[in-house]
Amino acid sequence: MPDRADARTKTGVETDAAAGGAREARPAVRVQGLWKRFGDQVAVAGIDLELPAGKFVGLVGPNGAGKTTTLSMVTGLLRPDMGKIEVAGHDVWTDPVEVKSRIGVLPEGLRLFERLSGRELLAYNGRLRGLPGDEVDKRATQLLDVLDLAGSQHKLVVDYSTGMRKKIGLAAALLHNPEVLFLDEPFEGVDPVSAQTIRGVLERYTRSGATVVFSSHVMELVESLCDWVAVMAAGRIKAQGTLAEVRGDAPSLQNAFLELVGAGGRDAGDSLDWLGGSR
Amino acid sequence: MSVLDAPVTSAAPAAPTTGLTPIFVSLKLTLLRNGLRQSSGRRAVFVVSLVFTLLLAAAQVLGLVLLRGNEHAGTVVVLLTGVVALGWAVLPLFFPSGDDTLDPTRLVMLPLRPEPLIRALLVSSMIGIGPLFTLCLVVGSVLALAHGAAGIVFAVLAVPLTMLLCVALSRAVTTANVRLLNSRKGRDLAVLSGLVIAVGIQFVNFGAQRLGQAGGLSTLDPAADVVRWLPGASAVASVDAASDGSYGVAVAQLLITVAALAALMWMWQRSMVRLMTSPDGSTLAAAEPAREESGRGRLSALLPEGRTATVMQRSLRYVARDPKTKAAWVTALAVGAIVPLLNAVQGTGSVYFACFAAGMLGMQMYNQFGQDTSAFWMVALTISSPRDAYVELRARAFVLLLLTLPFTLIVCAVTAAVIGDWQALPGALGLSFALLGSMLATGAVASALFPYSIPQEGAFKNVVPGQGGLAWISILGGMLAAALLAAPVIVPTIWMHVTDRHDALWLLVPGGLAYGALVGWAGLRIAARRTAARLPEILAAVSKG
Repeated sequence: MPDRADARTKTGVETDAAAGGAREARPAVRVQGLWKRFGDQVAVAGIDLELPAGKFVGLVGPNGAGKTTTLSMVTGLLRPDMGKIEVAGHDVWTDPVEVKSRIGVLPEGLRLFERLSGRELLAYNGRLRGLPGDEVDKRATQLLDVLDLAGSQHKLVVDYSTGMRKKIGLAAALLHNPEVLFLDEPFEGVDPVSAQTIRGVLERYTRSGATVVFSSHVMELVESLCDWVAVMAAGRIKAQGTLAEVRGDAPSLQNAFLELVGAGGRDAGDSLDWLGGSR
Repeated sequence: MSVLDAPVTSAAPAAPTTGLTPIFVSLKLTLLRNGLRQSSGRRAVFVVSLVFTLLLAAAQVLGLVLLRGNEHAGTVVVLLTGVVALGWAVLPLFFPSGDDTLDPTRLVMLPLRPEPLIRALLVSSMIGIGPLFTLCLVVGSVLALAHGAAGIVFAVLAVPLTMLLCVALSRAVTTANVRLLNSRKGRDLAVLSGLVIAVGIQFVNFGAQRLGQAGGLSTLDPAADVVRWLPGASAVASVDAASDGSYGVAVAQLLITVAALAALMWMWQRSMVRLMTSPDGSTLAAAEPAREESGRGRLSALLPEGRTATVMQRSLRYVARDPKTKAAWVTALAVGAIVPLLNAVQGTGSVYFACFAAGMLGMQMYNQFGQDTSAFWMVALTISSPRDAYVELRARAFVLLLLTLPFTLIVCAVTAAVIGDWQALPGALGLSFALLGSMLATGAVASALFPYSIPQEGAFKNVVPGQGGLAWISILGGMLAAALLAAPVIVPTIWMHVTDRHDALWLLVPGGLAYGALVGWAGLRIAARRTAARLPEILAAVSKG
């Protein structure tokens, strides 16, 4: 698998410098009519998505909205019932060679090879992706350093905390310098210090012209990080566009989101009127 | 006046020492009852195991009573009690029971003094199926041994003492190791227990056969003479001694048990006090010293770049580090060696029994991706063509061969040496190679077509609920197919033996090797195409653990 680090630092940054014209033309991810059903339950009900390249994209929605299912299908880890998915201009299911070398993935709820140490996991992953050994070692050292894992690089991943697991997973996803990075709930269960570290690395990574697609249900986080947002609920896309477009007139993304998923006007009403009353 | 209305006194209230034991006993009974109320499945399991245990215990008591008067009764009973006591000491390490009343860390916030707490825990530990079984056994033992008034007196003392000793032994061992048991290392240890059982059964089987041949129970007398003086069995042995009229010996043996019980209680109390007054074990894993730099520079530098070496290295590390993989490998290696060799030692075997080793190890090729657990996604993301899948599967097969080929050679050669039948060695080798190649082929195909999840916890669960059928189809069908595939080598082997062409048997070595390699290669090619086409399906199947 060729390494595109050099290619992109030349073309990617130049295109960005040229007002991102070329990247606007080819979206990072294009999804058309995507369906997935588990038994009677429709997890993803025919979604169309177009995620622009070079942006920090947030996929938001309540629990059970179909975010993980969508990301799994987009990254080739789950076979869709119907629909077409293109990543960086290549079809995920008919052209896996082109797609798999261009994406990095941090899934949620799947294990890592936990009986390897952090460094061994990176070495394993980098070499599986065909990078030369010396290069893998160099990049692993830097990633472990930046992600604050250098001290525990020789500990087995099975003994890592949640935050450390997310960070080593992120390092493994970044190791081959992918064009598009898919992160499923990267901040779930992560302590604030680790979260800030992850955030710093991701911001630096998108500045180089790469695309980050991540799912979350923490609106403040999405609002502060993302340029572009897609809102999902009950297996459908409720809205997609720049942060400003999706937010519209609402005071915050949180309010806009509640409005979109139909939970806006719900408050406790009279049913709990005794609560906080005279004792 | 309720507790809430009572005036607050500056003096700390005396710890409730008097009624602690009845409270614990009723707590234990309540927990047992509530546990059973939770699900009918659990109730069924409890009833079945209770009935089974009672039947077993009844049979044992009956057997022991029938043994009464036999000249070897003392030997058998003493050894049996010794084994049971050993079981009480060792089993808690492998099967950490979910016994809520007896987990001292749950009682940490209560104002309890150590001595009454230990007493209460000891008595409430006596409730359960295990103690009931032990009680039946001990009662049966003394029934088999006690003669005369002195014998009965010692029997009455020996039964409760032995029971208390067993329970105290188990609790002391558990409490001393609770930090280990709650850590990752302890859970790893529990997973490895399957291996102890699997290998142990082979030895018990062998021992029983040996006993049948070697002139009966008198061979055990020397062992029993030692065990008589060990706490655990010594109280029961004292009944035997008292019945024979050697009262001095009997008193000494009884005192050994009493002293051991006191020592155990003291140790238990000490480790419990330490456990309950020092920080808990939850940070133990984090505080564990980092692994040595595991030689990225050393080992990896020797390996070529690319997927083959990378996958092999990862697989070998898993054989050494992952308890499930390690248990499977060690079991296969041990059983694969024990069956042909023990049969050879007994003079009942044939060199061809050594093929069993190849068969056992070939099984490790089955469900390759299930062994990855859901971490298979990392592999799936780097496989984009049948070629990638082929290299991945081939590397895993290489690991298998790396361990299996020398092992098969050694087992075949040693078996031939023990039996003294060097003539059949080439036949056994050729057959082993062909069998190994066929197992690799069918194992690879089964890995692609019938993957299933392997739960990571628990020693005896190797399939998650709902995938048992899949696992059986995969392994049973695969083994039948492997036997059929190896037929082109099996048939000539039989033919050469039947027609007495022993001088041509050497042909089977290159023949078996070539055929095994060919079949293995073909199997990997077929499996690679299926694997590359079924990546999401395989990932879904192995992620249920």
